[in-house]
Amino acid sequence: MPDPQEPDRIDWRAEITTRLASLRLTPEQETDLADELAQHADDRFQELRARGASDADARRTVMTELDDEDGLAARLAGIVRRGAPRGPSLGVSTSGTIAGQVPQDVRYALRAMRRSPGFTAGVILTLALGIGAATTIFSVVNGVLLAPLPYRDPGQLVAFWGTSPEKQLPRVDFPPGLFVSVREKSRAFASMTAFEGAGFTLTGVGDPVRIDAATVSLDFFTVFGTTPLLGRTFIAGEDTPDDNRVTVLGYGLWQRRFGGDSSVLGRSITLNGMPSTVIGVMPPDFAVPIRAELWVPLRLDPAAFNCWCLSMIGRVKPGLDTEDAARDLRMTLDDFGLQRRDVFPDAKRGGSRVVATPLVREIAGDVRAPLLVLLVAVSVLLLIACANIANLLLSRAAGRGREMAVRCCLGASPQRIATQLLTESALLAAAGAALGVVLAFAAVRLVRRLPQIEIPRVQDIRVDPVVLAFAVGVTAISALLFGLAPALRAARVDLQTNLKDGARGSSAAGTRRLSDAFVVVQFALSLVLLAGAGLLIKSLGKLVAIDPGFRAEHMLVARMQPPYARYGSDTVVRSFYERVVERTSAIPGVRAVGLTQRAPLTRGNPQDNVIAEGHEPRPGEPIVVSNVRYITPGYFAAMGTPVLQGRSFTASDGPSSPHVAVVDETFARRFWPDGNAVGKRIAHEGDTSSTRWLTVVGVVPNVRHASLGEPLNLQVYEPYAQRTPWTMYLIIRAALPPQTLLASVRAQVASIDPEIPLYEARTMEEAVSRSLATRRLTNTLLTSFAIAAFVLAAIGIYGVISISVAGRKREFGVRLALGAQPGNVLRLVMRQGTWLALTGIAIGMLGATWVVRFLRGLLYGVSAFDVPTFLGATVLLAVVAIAACLIPARRATRVAPVVVLRE
Amino acid sequence: MVQAMLDRELKKGSAELLILSLVAHEPRHGYELSKLIDSRSNGAIRFHVASLYPLLYRLEKRGWIEGRWVEKANQRRRRYYRLTAEGRRVLAAQRRNWREFVEAIARITGVQHA
Repeated sequence: MPDPQEPDRIDWRAEITTRLASLRLTPEQETDLADELAQHADDRFQELRARGASDADARRTVMTELDDEDGLAARLAGIVRRGAPRGPSLGVSTSGTIAGQVPQDVRYALRAMRRSPGFTAGVILTLALGIGAATTIFSVVNGVLLAPLPYRDPGQLVAFWGTSPEKQLPRVDFPPGLFVSVREKSRAFASMTAFEGAGFTLTGVGDPVRIDAATVSLDFFTVFGTTPLLGRTFIAGEDTPDDNRVTVLGYGLWQRRFGGDSSVLGRSITLNGMPSTVIGVMPPDFAVPIRAELWVPLRLDPAAFNCWCLSMIGRVKPGLDTEDAARDLRMTLDDFGLQRRDVFPDAKRGGSRVVATPLVREIAGDVRAPLLVLLVAVSVLLLIACANIANLLLSRAAGRGREMAVRCCLGASPQRIATQLLTESALLAAAGAALGVVLAFAAVRLVRRLPQIEIPRVQDIRVDPVVLAFAVGVTAISALLFGLAPALRAARVDLQTNLKDGARGSSAAGTRRLSDAFVVVQFALSLVLLAGAGLLIKSLGKLVAIDPGFRAEHMLVARMQPPYARYGSDTVVRSFYERVVERTSAIPGVRAVGLTQRAPLTRGNPQDNVIAEGHEPRPGEPIVVSNVRYITPGYFAAMGTPVLQGRSFTASDGPSSPHVAVVDETFARRFWPDGNAVGKRIAHEGDTSSTRWLTVVGVVPNVRHASLGEPLNLQVYEPYAQRTPWTMYLIIRAALPPQTLLASVRAQVASIDPEIPLYEARTMEEAVSRSLATRRLTNTLLTSFAIAAFVLAAIGIYGVISISVAGRKREFGVRLALGAQPGNVLRLVMRQGTWLALTGIAIGMLGATWVVRFLRGLLYGVSAFDVPTFLGATVLLAVVAIAACLIPARRATRVAPVVVLRE
Repeated sequence: MVQAMLDRELKKGSAELLILSLVAHEPRHGYELSKLIDSRSNGAIRFHVASLYPLLYRLEKRGWIEGRWVEKANQRRRRYYRLTAEGRRVLAAQRRNWREFVEAIARITGVQHA
């Protein structure tokens, strides 16, 4: 208080400021107002003094005049607008512009967030997890499916192959003769290359090592438009009949084995025992086919139609797309087939079937479908999170009804309040996104190191500007999704109700309807996720429960390839195999040893057209394609595959003995359904001359070779002695943990020939688990999304029912006071909650039946509309809903009528 | 009591007209306005801080007058108000209304202009 003894020192500004406090002016406004009014008060005081009044009297008069007419603040309240920075000078205010508002809104929003730290943290964390998960999945999708390949005009690169649905052959590679003709005749392609995956044993540079490689047509690198890092690529004339005289190295191999030494050019290396000269090194990002680290020229014989084994990639002419390419290929193939009846006996115009697909999609391969499913799932999860946050904000906005009403009274326009609330949402979203992106960085590092899963283009998975842009976009959409509804509700603030009721937090009917709608949406989306996850879990369960036809435990697998150059003939190779079997069988702990050219769950599945005697196809009928494996006598024992009928091969099934075969149950049942396959005869197509008929001597169960979930194929086994493959998998059944035997197995093989390395060594259990790894990871992620979804849904319904109960306390009090039993009140609340949940579940059911069709490719042994799964998801969600509603419902029954009515 | 009420009502009805008239020819600050009203009405009408400024701000908000801070050497800054174009139109209308009202009252009550 100013001292009346010192009239000159009366602080009128302070007097004024105190009186204006309730207006909550901005500092600038307050300064302007106080300046102007204090000046007036002072002038008035001086005037009174000049007229002879005493200091005390003059002061008292001015004070009275200040408080005249209900007081200053009350009279100014409706006129002076908070948020107009230049005080009463509204005419030149900048407050109308958005730019002027933003910093102020941000300050206000930060204050509001600080006021409720628990709420803020909850929202930010939910968003961070949602946005983090979405960003991580997107970075994988981006790296694997979307990012352009590191080649010139990658959009023009198209992979293609034939397909034969009637023979159950989804993918048929081309023979050299066909490729050469297609390359010549095709009009849609600017260039075209053929290649075949291969493996080479590299000797002479450190230990013998197996290298993933490819034999490629001469213009292979030109098609990709990639120039070598060092040296050159192949030129005409280098596809000589003498194998592999020149070699192009991959960057990784060059670094690992040659120390990145540029003098490697011109150096002679030994591949499969043959000399070859290094002529070039490719840059690090060149990887066609995936994993290949070494390329040698492929000799294309235009007359060769024996090996349907070439993969093809073409560059379409500018302006043409994949569809044009496919059409062109079909026409070219039709022409070819009609001219060459010897190759395509059943050719007809329009009969060719070709699959042409952008190279980028071909490289993504099997992970494309699960990735897209996960991307959809994570988006759904984010939607659920947004619905949850929207509801939290709505309920909080209802609690802040009085604040909004007061601000409206003070002159804030509805748009202004909506903008303010949106700013709060945007800040929450931004904070959540920032944290989410940090999480995504960590998660992406994790994804790149997943041990068991081979993700194509894993090196392209990173949080790059595209991914960040995605995160920003997702954040903006989220902020709008969860911020818009509360903001619009608040803008339609009902002053009267809010000023009267605001403090009690009862929400207007509109807000309640909106909250209810969000809960319904949450339950609907949760059901979709739960049903999807349920279907995948069930599929995995079925796959794991499959009898693969062999016993994976206690089994060791490794591959070897005797070099043709040194071994030269089948006889020599056979004797090498015999010694390998003999020496490894002698290792303590080894129970059985077998060899086959393709072990189950490895890449590649050798096939041939096989004819059963008496069932020869009529002209025009497709010839049955069977898997064909050449095996040693110990193979079935090593695999743990029982012989169901007849016998297995023995040492007496030698090169000059009668030709024999073992078939699997599917093959036997197909041709001899009466169960008398043993003694019947089969032959490879083109081998039906009397000498090459094979007599079936045994029947074995079906074995899943390509994957656990593959449809049952026909399988024929033949003794390796009668057709000797030049690469073999060694299969060892052990009495000990199989990995402990690997070292001694290596040692035994090396003791026979130190230049033949064992590669692709693994236990069969590893192979099985690796074959399911992508599926397992997809399941784990989808399941965790589903769990997160229903936890959020539970929280959502709990929150909405709680708020509703709090708002209806008085009603419940009255009911209880009038004699309602607690049970009645409980039922009342539960009915509300269950109705919401069931509506959501019903809508979700409709949605799920539509969405699950996209899962079909990932399902195994389960219908996309599996009733038990849908029922399970429904029951689970209903139980969660009931549990979540029970807590607030019981709270409603404990309302003390007296207390509530007195309030 | 009755007198005080009548005063208040009359003041309310005429206040806007008074302010607009006083700033019609030159910009004036708040204290000056209250002094002028007081002296020209011979003390019959008085505006103090609590009634004058809310009125000024309301008129300004409506866009009828406009306030400007003016700083002079060795003096504290003062806010001067002047009539806007819109205010000029309102003032003309109010003057006409007032005149008609006063004339009507005069015809009824027989009170004549001085």
